[in-house]
Amino acid sequence: MNLSIKNLKAEVEGRAILKGLDLQVGPGEVHAIMGPNGSGKSTLAHVLAGRAGYTVSAGEVTMDGEDLLGLEPEQRAALGVFLAFQYPVELPGVNNTHFLKEALNAQRKARGERELDSVAFLKLIREKLAMVSMQPELLKRPVNAGFSGGEKKRNEILQMALLEPKLAILDETDSGLDIDALKTVSDGVNALRSPDRSVILVTHYQRLLDYIEPDFVHVLADGRIVRSGDKSLAKELEKKGYGWLTGKDEAA
Amino acid sequence: MNTAEHEGTDLKRLLHQGQRLLTPIPAGLDWLTPLRERGAMGVAGMPLPSRKDETWRYTSLAFLDQVEYKPLIEGPFEALQLDDIDELLLTGHTGDRLVFVNGYLSPELCVLGGGSGVVLSALAGGLGEVPAVLRARLGGIAEQQHPLSALNTALMSDGALIHVPRGVASQKPIEILHISVGTEDTGICHPRHLIVLEEDAHAEIIERYCSLGDAVYFNNVSIEVSLGAGSDLVHSRSQEESRNAQHLSDLQVRLGERSRYRLVLAALGGAWSRSDVRVTFEGEGAAAELDGLMLAGDKQLNDVHLDIRHEVPSCSSRETFKGILDGKGRVVFDGRILVAQDAQKTDAQLSNDNLMLSRSAEVDTKPQLEIFADDVKCSHGTTVGELDGDMLFYLRSRGIPQAQATQMLCQGFAQEVLDRLPSEALRARAGKVLAERLDQTAA
Repeated sequence: MNLSIKNLKAEVEGRAILKGLDLQVGPGEVHAIMGPNGSGKSTLAHVLAGRAGYTVSAGEVTMDGEDLLGLEPEQRAALGVFLAFQYPVELPGVNNTHFLKEALNAQRKARGERELDSVAFLKLIREKLAMVSMQPELLKRPVNAGFSGGEKKRNEILQMALLEPKLAILDETDSGLDIDALKTVSDGVNALRSPDRSVILVTHYQRLLDYIEPDFVHVLADGRIVRSGDKSLAKELEKKGYGWLTGKDEAA
Repeated sequence: MNTAEHEGTDLKRLLHQGQRLLTPIPAGLDWLTPLRERGAMGVAGMPLPSRKDETWRYTSLAFLDQVEYKPLIEGPFEALQLDDIDELLLTGHTGDRLVFVNGYLSPELCVLGGGSGVVLSALAGGLGEVPAVLRARLGGIAEQQHPLSALNTALMSDGALIHVPRGVASQKPIEILHISVGTEDTGICHPRHLIVLEEDAHAEIIERYCSLGDAVYFNNVSIEVSLGAGSDLVHSRSQEESRNAQHLSDLQVRLGERSRYRLVLAALGGAWSRSDVRVTFEGEGAAAELDGLMLAGDKQLNDVHLDIRHEVPSCSSRETFKGILDGKGRVVFDGRILVAQDAQKTDAQLSNDNLMLSRSAEVDTKPQLEIFADDVKCSHGTTVGELDGDMLFYLRSRGIPQAQATQMLCQGFAQEVLDRLPSEALRARAGKVLAERLDQTAA
């Protein structure tokens, strides 16, 4: 999978958030996007996944040559885009197993693949559960409803494991997690690293990168990438904060 | 179609047509005569509710002017076989089943296990002579609220009469299945059910209204329920009528001391549907839990009127009703809770949440607490909202197309009510009907 973002400009309610962002992600690469609050990290994640409410005013985003911005969210998902939410949404009354099965089968159907029957699906989901150390009981409950913060994030990674995306975008996956949960979630992500799967890690803190080691680190400030480097850049940010790159005085 | 003008429906003319059909009174049914006469007086003496009446303000009976309903007569569907109604049956239901076709008992379609100590009878005598205990109670529980409920009393033709004696617990749910089949004339029928639980009796009753095909008709139903001290009734009602049908039901329940009543109402069908539910607490320490789901697809009207009467101390009631609307669908919800001066320590909680899938839909929701006691715990709340954009995006971001995502969220919204249905068979059935109707709605 090759993702190419060129001169991407996006606004929310008339306010410019992304101001000409360029990023190239190659097959199997893990890119960390770091930056202070309000720099546009989450906007980037949502624009890639196709959330309504963002206006792309310029630029292009292609995935293996296909124009991503012209597609509906479900079409992007079927192509292999996956967004792990910072705040996974609770769906009262929607059974988690049913949701997971419908999601997988909708994608398979869109790609012209055969849908899985219940037996085949349950076998598959049990394998995936073990991978993220999730309690099987959580499959019987409504999606994310009443889940703890850690359970919600695990459920995101479970979906990622099940849907096997080509491009996984993890939006502040570390937020609200204690060290144990962070470690479990990171283990899950690491287990899913493969030459066929690229990852964009959106994070404010360096902490997550101790667990999921990126190939590239980019600093996003005021809607543009202002610095790119390898994982040592993250260490530098931890020491110095973002201020030396953004010109503002802000602690990391 | 002939070119004759529609005459509309005049209740008094309908009464006379119906009365002619009911004469001569068959042997053994003369006990009904005084009750029917009382109904006839009600029809003559009460004006048809108009939109000037507060409880009919949002629900018009104007359709009565457009169609001339004729009383349905017994007979033409004797030939209905079990195979014909296969698609309507609950999968896995193993309890007793009383089947009425166009208002009349169809003995060949019934399943009667017997031996449980529960007395199952039919108003018109189709299951033998109606026991005196049921005769004595019929008509004594419900008050006539309007001329249509009076018309039911005047013309009641058949229905389920169930008696659960003292201390008896029915082991399996008892199903009352009402099937409507289209007729040449647009028919009206008046099913009349009575459920009596004596002291410490337990029962589960499933009451269903279904159609074969797109039948056009008017079901004017009345149900009386009497719960003795310490008794417990679980009552599920599923209204799955055709999208061309009118359905009016008047359910009145009286609760004795420490009795418990649970109602789950799934009102999914009909062009025009109204359910009046009156629950009266007559003995201390009783509890009622009422859950309901109202579906109003395009041009469907779905109305629920609750009248919860806390007349005595220390009773609790919880009412949780949800509406789903699409197209030009309309939901009317009127939840009235009365707490009388003596009814101290009442605990009453009422909520009505509505999900609007279309801006052309309309909800008229009115919770009313009328509290005359001072030591009570009462609350009410209503919401009207659209589908949550975050929820929709979450599903779509996982690859689920918008229409399917909408359907899943509606099902989820409804599921909290459907999950209250005690019978797994009915839960599956109601879920299936809901999915089909939502599909039609989305199409």
